[in-house]
Amino acid sequence: MWYTIFKFEIQYRIKRPDTYVFFLFLFLFSIIGVDFIFQGSEMGLMKKNSPIVIAKTMGAITGIFMILASMIMGVSVLRDFEYNIESLLFSAPINKKDYLLGRFLGSFAVLLFVFAGILFGMMLSEFMPWHNPEDLLGFNAIVYIKTFLMVTLPTLFFGASLFFVTGALSRNLVVVYTQGIILFVVFMLTKAITNEFWQAILDPFSLTTTTFATKFWSALEKSTQELPFIGALLYNKLFWMSLGILALIYGYKKFNFNVVKEKQSKRKQVEKLVGKSTSVVSGIEIPEATKQYGLLSKWNQLKQFSWFYFISICKQASFWGIVICGMIIILINSVNLGTVYGVDSYPATYFIVEELKETSIYFFIIILVFYSSELVWKERGAKLDLIYDATPISSFIKLIGKYIGLNLVYVVLMLALIGSGILFQTLSGYYKYEFQVYFYGFFLEILPFLALYTCIAFFIQSVVNHKFVGIMLVIIFFIANVALGLFGFDHDLYFFGGSALGTYSDMNGYGHFLKPYLLIKLYWFLFGILLLIIGSLVNVRGTETNLMQRIRVSKNRFSKPLFKVGSMVFLVFILMGSLIFYNTNILNTYWTNTKATEFRVAYEKELKQFEYIPQPKIVDVNLKVELYPSSRDYTAEGYYILKNTNAQPINEIHIQKLIEENITLDAVTFDGGAIENNTYASYDYTIYQLHSPLNPGDSIKMNFKQSFTTNGFEAGNSNANIVENGTFFNNKDFPTLGYNRKYELSDRDERSEYNLSERTNRANRNDVKELVNARSGSDSDGIHFEMVIGTDIDQTALVPGNLLREWTENNRNYFHYKMEIPMIDFYSIVSAKYDIKRGKWISKSNSISKQVDLEIYYHNSHEYNIDRMMMAMKASLDYYSTSFSPYQYEQLRIMEFPRYAQFAQSFPGTVPFSESIGFVLDIDDETDVDMAFYVTAHEIAHQWFAMQVEAANVKGQYFILETLSQYAAMMVLKAHYPKEKVQQFLELQLEKYEEGKLRESGAEPTLALVDNQDYIYYAKGALNMYQFQKVIGEEQVNKALRRFLEDWNTTNGKLKMNTNRYATSQDLLSYFRAVTPDSLQHIILELFESVKPVEL
Amino acid sequence: MELRIDNLSKTYSNGIKALQNISLVIPTGMFGLLGPNGAGKSTLMRTIATLQEADAGSIVLGDIDVLKQKNELRQVLGYLPQQFGLYPKISAEVLLNHFAVLKGITNKNERKELVKTLLYKTNLYDVRQQNLKGFSGGMKQRFGIAQALLNNPKLLIVDEPTAGLDPVERNRFYNVLSELGEHTVVILSTHIVDDVKELCTNMAIINQGQVCLKGQPLQILEGLKDKVYKKTIEKSELNLYKENYQVISERLFLGKPTIHIVSDMNPGDGFSLINAELEDVYFSEIFNTTNLKSN
Repeated sequence: MWYTIFKFEIQYRIKRPDTYVFFLFLFLFSIIGVDFIFQGSEMGLMKKNSPIVIAKTMGAITGIFMILASMIMGVSVLRDFEYNIESLLFSAPINKKDYLLGRFLGSFAVLLFVFAGILFGMMLSEFMPWHNPEDLLGFNAIVYIKTFLMVTLPTLFFGASLFFVTGALSRNLVVVYTQGIILFVVFMLTKAITNEFWQAILDPFSLTTTTFATKFWSALEKSTQELPFIGALLYNKLFWMSLGILALIYGYKKFNFNVVKEKQSKRKQVEKLVGKSTSVVSGIEIPEATKQYGLLSKWNQLKQFSWFYFISICKQASFWGIVICGMIIILINSVNLGTVYGVDSYPATYFIVEELKETSIYFFIIILVFYSSELVWKERGAKLDLIYDATPISSFIKLIGKYIGLNLVYVVLMLALIGSGILFQTLSGYYKYEFQVYFYGFFLEILPFLALYTCIAFFIQSVVNHKFVGIMLVIIFFIANVALGLFGFDHDLYFFGGSALGTYSDMNGYGHFLKPYLLIKLYWFLFGILLLIIGSLVNVRGTETNLMQRIRVSKNRFSKPLFKVGSMVFLVFILMGSLIFYNTNILNTYWTNTKATEFRVAYEKELKQFEYIPQPKIVDVNLKVELYPSSRDYTAEGYYILKNTNAQPINEIHIQKLIEENITLDAVTFDGGAIENNTYASYDYTIYQLHSPLNPGDSIKMNFKQSFTTNGFEAGNSNANIVENGTFFNNKDFPTLGYNRKYELSDRDERSEYNLSERTNRANRNDVKELVNARSGSDSDGIHFEMVIGTDIDQTALVPGNLLREWTENNRNYFHYKMEIPMIDFYSIVSAKYDIKRGKWISKSNSISKQVDLEIYYHNSHEYNIDRMMMAMKASLDYYSTSFSPYQYEQLRIMEFPRYAQFAQSFPGTVPFSESIGFVLDIDDETDVDMAFYVTAHEIAHQWFAMQVEAANVKGQYFILETLSQYAAMMVLKAHYPKEKVQQFLELQLEKYEEGKLRESGAEPTLALVDNQDYIYYAKGALNMYQFQKVIGEEQVNKALRRFLEDWNTTNGKLKMNTNRYATSQDLLSYFRAVTPDSLQHIILELFESVKPVEL
Repeated sequence: MELRIDNLSKTYSNGIKALQNISLVIPTGMFGLLGPNGAGKSTLMRTIATLQEADAGSIVLGDIDVLKQKNELRQVLGYLPQQFGLYPKISAEVLLNHFAVLKGITNKNERKELVKTLLYKTNLYDVRQQNLKGFSGGMKQRFGIAQALLNNPKLLIVDEPTAGLDPVERNRFYNVLSELGEHTVVILSTHIVDDVKELCTNMAIINQGQVCLKGQPLQILEGLKDKVYKKTIEKSELNLYKENYQVISERLFLGKPTIHIVSDMNPGDGFSLINAELEDVYFSEIFNTTNLKSN
């Protein structure tokens, strides 16, 4: 008997188009599945079809589209109730077991068919032209099938059982839709579990499980090895399968195969109602009410409608289910906020808002996709459509009413989320709620996004006369739009919705990002209204469902007022579009990805010939900079003195202006005169033929004026260096000499596509041309620096050097800085509204007692860790000046800058320090390492390892600059904090190193030959240097560094002067060798010159 | 005010000719549209109610071209579809209020008064705050008529309103309907002859998409005066009679078939003359058109 029902179920589904739509959808999605799931993540050695990648992709796709399973399984029994044939069926001679079993197996078979789309899609994906064969292993169908059976099938079985049972028991379609969310919540919950094993077991999509199961694999194993279907993975699958079986048993027990019983209560109610209303009422005059069809009446209708539909959703338990799930997730997830180096930040509102946005977006999208279809289909679902359609209500008002109703629903969820955010802050003892930040985050960022996509969803649902197909199309639109953006088709005029709003910063708010963002959103919103108008014209009204027919009669439905509104909207839309186009493409130039790439290629092909031509060096910089933060402009006027340090005379000087449209370079003149050669003007590269050659040892003055002018706004992300509060840029923005390697195309595949030779980041350690450079294309071996800088009256501008004078003029603040000793050609320009913390440090070493001014410039209210930083400054100066060499400058400043970048960086005597990494850390001395202290110490160490001694621009450069700074900072940490903290710090480094190793796509280099791998020069460097000092003694290491600094000092080092080149890791290691006893010499080889597993 | 339908035709995409050259003039008052299931009644009603497009022909109410000026018609239209549902989780009062807004009654006080009166009128006032989920079929139909009357319609279309109602409810429904009709064109479609008999001053019978008869019920009955005969026969004889006489209806009476035949003269043979009922007219017309088709 069950077989008949099974067959019936299958036959029914075979005839339904949704079955094929679902299959096709999964099939097509899976073709881009791997790229979608792994987009943006470094795959390292893992190939795109490594078993683990396949397993993760399958797990993730299955998880994302569990909602399909819910649609297929959930409606199986529900359908009988929807079509009111339950009484026919249940009175037929079939028993409950057969009925449920047949239905379950039938729909499960269909479910497997649909999800087989993933299997075939992923297999086919291997053969897609966008995959590089080098990223793939040989095709092996067995791996796919096996993974499908092991990963997807059990998950599906669990999902199928759960959804089938809830569908059958609740008999409510919306419950069926929303249960996918519940599973998602479970998935999120598992992420909060700290025990890795249990996390692996409880993850319903087995994503963390595969990570756990392969935790101890090497990169190579991960790339090729098949997944072990034992241990955690097996338990995980068994666990979820048995939960599925439990669900089925429960459902079987609870399912009531008796229609009448369920309806008894209802019937009683009816009898009661009927009993009350038997008397015949006649002879009542029906009062005639005024019927109004004017604008005011439409407005009233709109209000009533919006509220009516809003309330109708609010009455659904499933909606409140979503709201509560959302709030719970936030409370779980917000535990770790703004975590930097393992330390959490204070729960500042913007952190909370970002966390809320990130985790809640899934909920919003679910609400958007499903409730928009619910609302559009509401009358049809209740079979009330004919009554509605025969009333004189404007289709547009009805649609807009629903639209507003749904947006009100978003607002409710948002308010709930904000409530939970505030609750979380309160529970954490943080009371600076900053409601405006909540408001901006939700109502300026998320709501417009949702409102726009809701227009799309309403439009699609209005045009397509099939609910599920409509839902699928909405989801496809989502994905297609994301994909479009990824491929670089992201101009705000045609990338739906425009770009996201820039980062919020405590210092700069939304800054200059807000205005263009709002304009673009308005532009798209007008487009959305046009879509809604079109949707209201062609939507189904009456029983005519054929689309062509509907389009044909739509002109009769285009009423005059609506036409007026439509034309107005269209007009403003065009105007807004023109305004945006004027800003992005006329005031500014829009670069497509292709155009930018081609430009880089041409730059390299045309100008590479000049890479190593002899050029003079900058020896003196004297500039007057005028910053205008409020209008985001600046001018820099003054001169460089250039000195010919080569053996032969120089006839031409090559000047590269920064390739950025906002910047113009004028009035470039040379003493003695020069002729401009503009052959390469399109690359902002000008060759100046000097009237008289610059002889070896001679100098020449180069005057120039550079201006940065903000014109309107640009498409996409605009410059975040020159901002209203928190300007931070460095001298790389000023004119440079000769060819700039940074403009070269770096992606390996792109380079081969354009026939460019292979490119390494850093030259080999014996590359003569680079040994004389401390930076790529270095323009200088050290400068004298002087700058007068002006800024807005409420801001402080900071550059390296002693502050000679400070005054106000023309309602602006001016500062005159001069560095009394030579410094490296690397200086930052910073300006913002600051609070200042001052201190003093007096050198204890040497005979000369020197006083250094310590200053921390920070954003008002970011005072949390100022004392820690100040302490770190003093401790570092103490340690470094006694252990290495005296501190060279008369001041040391830390300046906070907005969180558009997340780093701290050392310049001579100045350390710009990002808002996000130290200022707002909530450091608990019990559990955390004092990272504000550590990062400060690290940056100050650069005053030695970067400012006092520079390293040649070859492999191993960062071993000297970064690893030594890590070492120095660790020693300061060790001196001021208990051993356990240092141990904790080292563990963190080990973790980072392991993570980094996984992303590595090439062979891991040694520390001595490290290129750009931060996991080596930071993490492994710290670990190995710690080990090194442990073995040979801290004092010995410091002795080596002392000698190294003395010999290789950039301005007066003996060896630096004699060799006329910069130090390499080879040089450094020779100092290490010198202090290491013979018996331990091998350790240098092990730690720095070989790739040996690290141990704590 | 009258509703004029001229040569209205509609063929569905699957080839079914739902309406074929329908022409009717419907004056104010109750108009009964009688026909068997699938005759095209609902298609006709939906087309008049602006819910469906016609292929050819025209419908005019006063000076409103129904097929083109849909919204103008909707302003004066009351429509009760053959089948409809109700939102289960809201009350009669709230939903009726919502419908009043739909129909352009946006003055709050007037609307409140109107909704209240209509709920009284349809005898739903006591249950106005109950969720619609608990409404019986009859209450649902009465709610349906209440919403149709909200905008004081000039044209009221009720599509098979009494299907599935028990006799008491049906009577109650008639009572509500019968009070209208003085200033309103009311079209009542049904396959139940009694509905027309009891309520309508004009009527038409349609079958297979065509009008086979139109007029006033009394006049129509005249046509069959002294032509309908009745006889109770044995089951086995049924086919024999069908061959020899124009049998328009057969029904069981105490387990034996009773047949009605139409004959210009007395057939004798145990037949007895009876007063023609509307039902006989209906059956004879259906009989004729169906036979015409099959021949």
